[in-house]
Amino acid sequence: MKKLLFLISIIAISFTSCIKDDIIDDFVEPTIRITTTPDTIIAGLQFQFDFAYFNNIGQQETINPTWTSSDESLLTIDQNGLAMAIEKGAVIITVSYTSTDVNISQSFAVNIGEVFVEAPAERSGTIATSGSYLLEGDFTIIEEDGKLIINIADNYAASTALPGLYVYLTNNPATNVGAYEIGAVEIFNGAHTYEIDGIGINEYSHILYFCKPFTVKVGDGEIK
Amino acid sequence: MNKTIYIFFASIIFISASFAGGPWTQQKGVGYFKLSEWWITYDKHYTDSGELDPNITSGIYNSSFYGEYGLSDRFTTILYAPLFSRNFYNNQVSGTTGEVTLVGEAINSIGDINVSFKYGLTGPGAKFPIAATLTLGLPTGSTGGGELGILQTGDGEFNQSIQIDAGTGFQIGKTNAYFSTFAGVNNRTNGFSEEFKYGLEVGAGLFNQKLWLIARLNGVESFNNGNLGENINSTSIFADRAEYTSYGLEAAYYITKQFGISASFASAFRGKIIAAAPSYSVGVFLDLSK
Repeated sequence: MKKLLFLISIIAISFTSCIKDDIIDDFVEPTIRITTTPDTIIAGLQFQFDFAYFNNIGQQETINPTWTSSDESLLTIDQNGLAMAIEKGAVIITVSYTSTDVNISQSFAVNIGEVFVEAPAERSGTIATSGSYLLEGDFTIIEEDGKLIINIADNYAASTALPGLYVYLTNNPATNVGAYEIGAVEIFNGAHTYEIDGIGINEYSHILYFCKPFTVKVGDGEIK
Repeated sequence: MNKTIYIFFASIIFISASFAGGPWTQQKGVGYFKLSEWWITYDKHYTDSGELDPNITSGIYNSSFYGEYGLSDRFTTILYAPLFSRNFYNNQVSGTTGEVTLVGEAINSIGDINVSFKYGLTGPGAKFPIAATLTLGLPTGSTGGGELGILQTGDGEFNQSIQIDAGTGFQIGKTNAYFSTFAGVNNRTNGFSEEFKYGLEVGAGLFNQKLWLIARLNGVESFNNGNLGENINSTSIFADRAEYTSYGLEAAYYITKQFGISASFASAFRGKIIAAAPSYSVGVFLDLSK
């Protein structure tokens, strides 16, 4: 009996400490993005341009970028993104960031005129599976009345076999870490819409579908 | 749970069924008892299309008691009790920064208990015995554990299965051997789909029946008639609509006339919504029929 109890104890103790590490490949190229993108700003007035920088895991970081104007006779811009529109015309504004391992920039064309005109704020993309579960469909994103509206097209279809399928907005499609959770997927076929308050149309680069129980990506769609 | 996790639950049923001795009931007042450790870890699973997809590495360990006891020569009670069950998932670490992005967790509890009643449809000593078994699956395990609510040591549902076993003993030269098969239906509650279960088993006793080598082929086919919502945020759903065909091998060695040790593994040929990894078991047993 003693031998039996000893053997049982060894068996039980042997399997009580088993949490190890799973390494995920979550590298993404750093990006810098101008987040205020009007079509036309007013000559003779100032306009504040904003930006966002996302590091090599898609997390937003605070940096000090460099702002430049393609024609300072039309528009000047300081290193805080505050522009002064001088004369009517068209200029290209560039925000750039350079460090020891990063050298990135984004440019944006803006007109200078008599009235302020917002740019048509619409982006789009295609959702595709990253594994073998069914996930497909097109989408468009618009910003309207302070809301971000994601319209999933009628060619959308997703497997109902997954437990805990969630949809996110993210700047790193490899993981849901740091992503904005829109919510659990409740519609698995056909057109539907998500409305989100407080999110700008240029804040995220991907729609992400993620299975929480498996902690694994199911698919994504780049927002173009 | 994922296929593996489902394999977890399926394997428990499978192990129970197998150890129940096919169509052979215990004699009155005689029993077979076993303490074992069963475990599985998996980092991928079979999807609903039967292909393999990755998942966070998870695992389940069960320290369990299994016992058969003959109430009469034709009526045997069977208990499978995972007295200690541990379900865990790994830390998730960024390959870019080295930081832990998701802290692994584990829960420990009792698992789901199965109570079975086997009745010999043929009399003791029949050349081709046939038995019917009713199994009650009790939801004694935990569900929804951990911060993410995805850890569990049971499937959270009460189920009842009925199966018919048939088999026969024979000899290969001077070696005693047996063959058995079973088929059954598992009725599940809480919106889970019903299942059809089947299996084949062949065993041979070597070295004057001190070493038994056993091979198994088991399967589960889902009726896909469950109504579990897709929004259940738990891998327990992987116990629904899961299907597999698995093979397994076991070696049982009698150290003394009645006391022995055993080791086994099982793995799937194919599957749907179930873990894609082999399961293992080691144990000690006491066979009072010897």
